[in-house]
Amino acid sequence: MEAGTALTLTSRFHTFFPFNTADSNTSFQPRFTLSSPSPSPSSSSFSAFSYRGPTPKRDFLADWVSQNDDVVRTLPIYVGSASLFAVLLNRALSGIAPVADAGSSQSRADLLTLGLAVTNILTGLVWLSIRPKSITVVNPRGVECKRLCSTLPEVALNELLWVWESLSDATCCRSLVVVYESRCVLQIGFAAESSTGDDEAVNVDANKLMQGSVYQGVLKSGAQSYLANLSLYPGKSELPFIPSNTQAVILQPLGDKGIAIIGGDTIRGYTASDQAWITYIGEKLDSTLAKYVKHHPLTPQD
Amino acid sequence: MNSIATICFKPCVPSPKLCPKTSFRKFPLTTIPRSSLQDSQPPNSTQQQQLNLSVLRFTLGIPGLDESYLPRWIGYGFGSLLLLNHFIGSDAVAVTPAQLSTEVLGLSLASFSIVLPYLGKFLKGTQPVDEKTIPDGTEQIFVMSTEIVNGLKEDLAWASYVLLRNTNAIAMLIFIQGQICTRGYWNIPDDTSKEILPGWFKKKIEKAGLYDLKDTLYFPQDADSEFQDLVPTGTRCLLIQPVLHASNESDSGLQKPDGFILLASTTRYAFSNKDKAWIAAVANKFRGFNSSKSRLSWLN
Repeated sequence: MEAGTALTLTSRFHTFFPFNTADSNTSFQPRFTLSSPSPSPSSSSFSAFSYRGPTPKRDFLADWVSQNDDVVRTLPIYVGSASLFAVLLNRALSGIAPVADAGSSQSRADLLTLGLAVTNILTGLVWLSIRPKSITVVNPRGVECKRLCSTLPEVALNELLWVWESLSDATCCRSLVVVYESRCVLQIGFAAESSTGDDEAVNVDANKLMQGSVYQGVLKSGAQSYLANLSLYPGKSELPFIPSNTQAVILQPLGDKGIAIIGGDTIRGYTASDQAWITYIGEKLDSTLAKYVKHHPLTPQD
Repeated sequence: MNSIATICFKPCVPSPKLCPKTSFRKFPLTTIPRSSLQDSQPPNSTQQQQLNLSVLRFTLGIPGLDESYLPRWIGYGFGSLLLLNHFIGSDAVAVTPAQLSTEVLGLSLASFSIVLPYLGKFLKGTQPVDEKTIPDGTEQIFVMSTEIVNGLKEDLAWASYVLLRNTNAIAMLIFIQGQICTRGYWNIPDDTSKEILPGWFKKKIEKAGLYDLKDTLYFPQDADSEFQDLVPTGTRCLLIQPVLHASNESDSGLQKPDGFILLASTTRYAFSNKDKAWIAAVANKFRGFNSSKSRLSWLN
């Protein structure tokens, strides 16, 4: 059994939450539901029946450590240095002759304790070195918009809106543009304000985008492209429709017919896990849109 | 312990003049806890601003050995040496109070060191180290109830694939509108045909009483003691995410549960907050699948 589990206080709470509006996107601390005396599989009325079964125990230590991150990181250093001084003080005050024989049991005990104190200090320093840098969020400068290609069936539109909801809830995404078969299928979230200045968002010129180097590059590699710091990227001018101060962008190809441009508000804001999820979402979106978006031939340029 | 000799923990506080010793390698293996965004300048300790503390991160280069557990081993080792010293090293002579106080201090430090890796797991920036392990006696299956409509079938297949690929789960089960979709490694009795498996799972769910879930249930460790019958043996961590039915506006936000997604993993604390956010997003996909209310109400 882990040493730590002995420390978690095991106490089961049963509190009454009448008709909890469980928004599954809020905090994920374990919550507790009333155990009703007669649960029934049928859910015809949700007034008296609720889940009756094991509920998770509260993990106080884990919660406390997550909330007091800085304190816990420096704790081993303080503990280690305090014990270091205590050992030396003890040795000085207890009148041990300075030329004590090296093999005395007191010296051995002191050395072992000193070794443990140093281990703690070094662990604390290692924890300090792995503290992640906190990056500030940069609010996108633009207007909110919600534009859908209305000729699509409801299934496809629902899927697109689900993608937007998931991305905005789980990642730092603030703007999403989906271009498929030379048409802008979705533009949602924050967008750059158009020059007419009447709170309208810039239109996505799908043809121009598809001929640009950004799209061609992503299409050729067939893989997701993660621009962790958009300001350093020269192709930024090909994406005039997302807010100019977008910090990070993921370009996800949808098969070989489209692209999803996902703009975020933090530099390096997308984790590796986010990237993996976005890749799979891109594949799903591609298979859905391929069924419903009709081919729109590219108008020839002059 | 030979390994300690090569580490050489010399009690010298790192200074800017510290020359890199050969026993400290600056290339952490993937098993070393590290953050995705590196920083060695803690803003609130000014005396360390010039120090590059990442020199302290080292590895012995032995695959499979997790150096973040080093304080625990040192705690056990030194603690037992202290006890040995107390009973065997000094039994001829009376133990002085000074030695007793040192030993008490040493033993409490040892127990603190033993707990340290457990605390370190919850700090931001550490990555879960345990690999996914497949429990014995399980088979990999992919089963869906036969009465599912085609659109939902494709979504379920995709969702089950993605959840198993992208999270630490080894087994998953979606129960929605009375239909089952499971994938992954489960303990099924031998020689069961595929047709009876959905019914078999449904019976297990009824026995476990997983109905009308409104909140996410997360059992970070020792989940198999709670749901022994349902989850594969060797499950440590369990996450049950309810799938809510889309409600009408007039119901003032009441949401009826429509089913749930169950994910089981053999490592403890397998699902981070980010994982949970994504799992909730997948659960949202199945919300109100057959309801008349869609997300498009604002279009009309």
